Amino acid sequence: MEKLLLVDMDKCTGCKQCSLACSLIKDDLFDLARGRIKVLKKEDIALGIELLCEQCDAHPCIEACPDEALSRDESTGIITVDAETCTECGSCVEACPYHGIRLHPETNIPIICDLCGGDPYCAKHCVPGAITWEDKTDDLVKEKKKLRSARMAMYRIHKKEGEN
Amino acid sequence: MYGHQGKILHVELGKNKIWTEDIPEEWRKLYIGSRGINAKLLWDYCKDPEITWDDPRNIVVFAPGAVTGTTAPASGRTSVTTVGCTTGLYLKSNTGGHWGAELKFAGYDHLVVHGESDKPVYIHIEDDKVEIKDAKELWGKDIIETDRILKEWHGEESRGLYIGPAGENLVRASSIHCSLYHAAGRGGGAAVMGKKKLKAVSVRGTKPIRVKDPKKFAKVAEEMRELLRADSGAQGLHEFGTAGSLAGVNELHAFPGKNWQTGYTENVFPITGQALNAGGYLKRRVACFGCTIGCHRYSSIDKGPNAGIASGGPEYETFGALGNGPGVIDTEGVLLANEMCNRLGLDTITAGGVAQWAIESYERGVLTKEDTDGLDLGWGKIPELLEIIEALAYRRGNLGDLLADGLKIATKKVGKDSYKWAIMNAKGLEQSNVETRSAKAYALAFAVNPRGNDHLMTETFAEFGASPEAIDVVEKITGDKKWASPHHTEFRAEIVRWHEDCYEITEALGFCVFTSTAAYGVNPDNMARMYTAATGIEMSEDELMLTGRRVCTIEKAFNVTRGATRAHDNLPWRLMNEGAASGPLKGATNSQEELDEMLDLYYDLHEWDRETSWPTRETLEMLDLKYIADYLDELGKLP
Repeated sequence: MEKLLLVDMDKCTGCKQCSLACSLIKDDLFDLARGRIKVLKKEDIALGIELLCEQCDAHPCIEACPDEALSRDESTGIITVDAETCTECGSCVEACPYHGIRLHPETNIPIICDLCGGDPYCAKHCVPGAITWEDKTDDLVKEKKKLRSARMAMYRIHKKEGEN
Repeated sequence: MYGHQGKILHVELGKNKIWTEDIPEEWRKLYIGSRGINAKLLWDYCKDPEITWDDPRNIVVFAPGAVTGTTAPASGRTSVTTVGCTTGLYLKSNTGGHWGAELKFAGYDHLVVHGESDKPVYIHIEDDKVEIKDAKELWGKDIIETDRILKEWHGEESRGLYIGPAGENLVRASSIHCSLYHAAGRGGGAAVMGKKKLKAVSVRGTKPIRVKDPKKFAKVAEEMRELLRADSGAQGLHEFGTAGSLAGVNELHAFPGKNWQTGYTENVFPITGQALNAGGYLKRRVACFGCTIGCHRYSSIDKGPNAGIASGGPEYETFGALGNGPGVIDTEGVLLANEMCNRLGLDTITAGGVAQWAIESYERGVLTKEDTDGLDLGWGKIPELLEIIEALAYRRGNLGDLLADGLKIATKKVGKDSYKWAIMNAKGLEQSNVETRSAKAYALAFAVNPRGNDHLMTETFAEFGASPEAIDVVEKITGDKKWASPHHTEFRAEIVRWHEDCYEITEALGFCVFTSTAAYGVNPDNMARMYTAATGIEMSEDELMLTGRRVCTIEKAFNVTRGATRAHDNLPWRLMNEGAASGPLKGATNSQEELDEMLDLYYDLHEWDRETSWPTRETLEMLDLKYIADYLDELGKLP
């Protein structure tokens, strides 16, 4: 059965286990900047906003890449970066409407969530249940979009405040 | 380096000097990290008893743990160690939040602050860049404003640790805050920062943390995470916060009210964690760095005259100290008092402790209206409580100035037997909200606690036998499940000693003590395996527990240099002489006889001298602490 990753900001306690787990499984160390998932924390209102690749239908990151280094698996929506072709320009980072792409702090190659190939490691670490790996249904697809919109709305407010 | 980052950062405020030092390999085996290495550092720099809390030679050490910054669940805690202001003795306090992990990502396991500045400063750390900066614009600002300005200067992702007006004014009840609503609250560490004119430490770190064996490490972290996920205590902490257990404690007639005159309160619901949920005050469940439990609260008042009041908490202790203690059985009353303490940088336990004493003193006619600057104090009066808190933080008026020095000094100034209703022991720290008359391991643990009588150097919650996991712990220590019952004096010494060791190593690794001594997912066995996987240093469960005992012994020895004796290991006069107000133990007290019996066994277990309570040379040498034995010998303080 197809599955999807649900990410619910209201259940997030802001602990960052997800980013730590991601850097461990991908890079064998602990570094928030190497997490394919990032938790943007607003300490004064105790808010954590999760940012990661949403495997979206529009995927503007692919078109934004001047070197055609990004490709997409049509069935899973997972984006892959060809490190040989990538020139580390960061166009995909700018293009992502969900702020889900960052450059690796050492290699400068974009790091993008690949759902751990179908067994997301971060979800196992999220005890409060903000990140869950669910069987895909039409309702949950809608729910995923709703949760994403809520996060993006908060992100815009937060980002604006950060710029002041 | 694996596990640790391997560096101690030193900052000398008076001489404007900054340097780093490698952590000696031997220290990682003997003291592990955080609280443990802090104890060694405080001993090395401040063992001379002439160094008082306000001496520029006093140091403050801040340290996340050996596994902080990893997926080890709830391992983001930071120990803060100094010569305490309230007691003049050893002070270790500990805070959650996200600051400690950030310090570790900046590349440091410990930050040691030396000296004293002649003008307000703050320390700014960005990886290898460390500066002492002017804090003119921050001085006088409250916690919320200070955090806002620091983030404006150093970015939203920087993490701040700071003092508020209370710390600047050298108030004993002041607390060091970090990540806004988290605090190393007890003992007046913030006043030590205030004396040094150190307003804040802002940190941003980007260096990875490596462990020796990532696969083994992940396996032990998973084991801990799953144990905590299944633990009913941890689930309750997430759902209702620390205050979720208040109604149950009240049912046991063990919830101190009106300055420990009552143990049971009717209609206690408004001051429980459940009331935050039901009343719509709870906005978010919040976690410290890397914590899978998330027991912290963010609450706000949305409607009515108090609308707009928002802050972290309130915690169990705050509902006790600023709720049941002063007789405020009112959710919004506690939210208001809590918010004010968080804003002004006050420890809610001590703020509540001195307020309760003041109210009772006023009722008894020992404090007059002149002493209270015209305030008509009484139980359950919210505006007056808020007035007390503000006066305390700013040392305002007669009352503020009296309470700001803490009960140890205030009771001497006021006299008239007012020590009899001051809930502190000989060391002089206001007691946390635990009824020791009906919990005998707590009574012993509070008496021997080197920083004063509270539950934050060891926690013997297991004696209540409230869960199967807790009963197992008691059985492991005593050999029999039946001792999981708090009214006995038998085996309390064994329970306290084991929990001291366990609590110490929990903090040394950076774990939250809730994971090992309130919920049961982290234990000496899996901590030892995790330490080895993280660092590559071979460490058995017994060896690790022995490091705990070693550190507890340094902390004890430090107090011996300051003149501490067996007489300092006692309990508040009221709890020793007045009976519990109600419930199954109505009329029962802690007594000198009962305490003496437990103390003898406790000192025996530690192999310390019964008469003086001092560690012997043989014991110190067995713990690789010959250097301490030699120094105590010089002072004439070996038994």
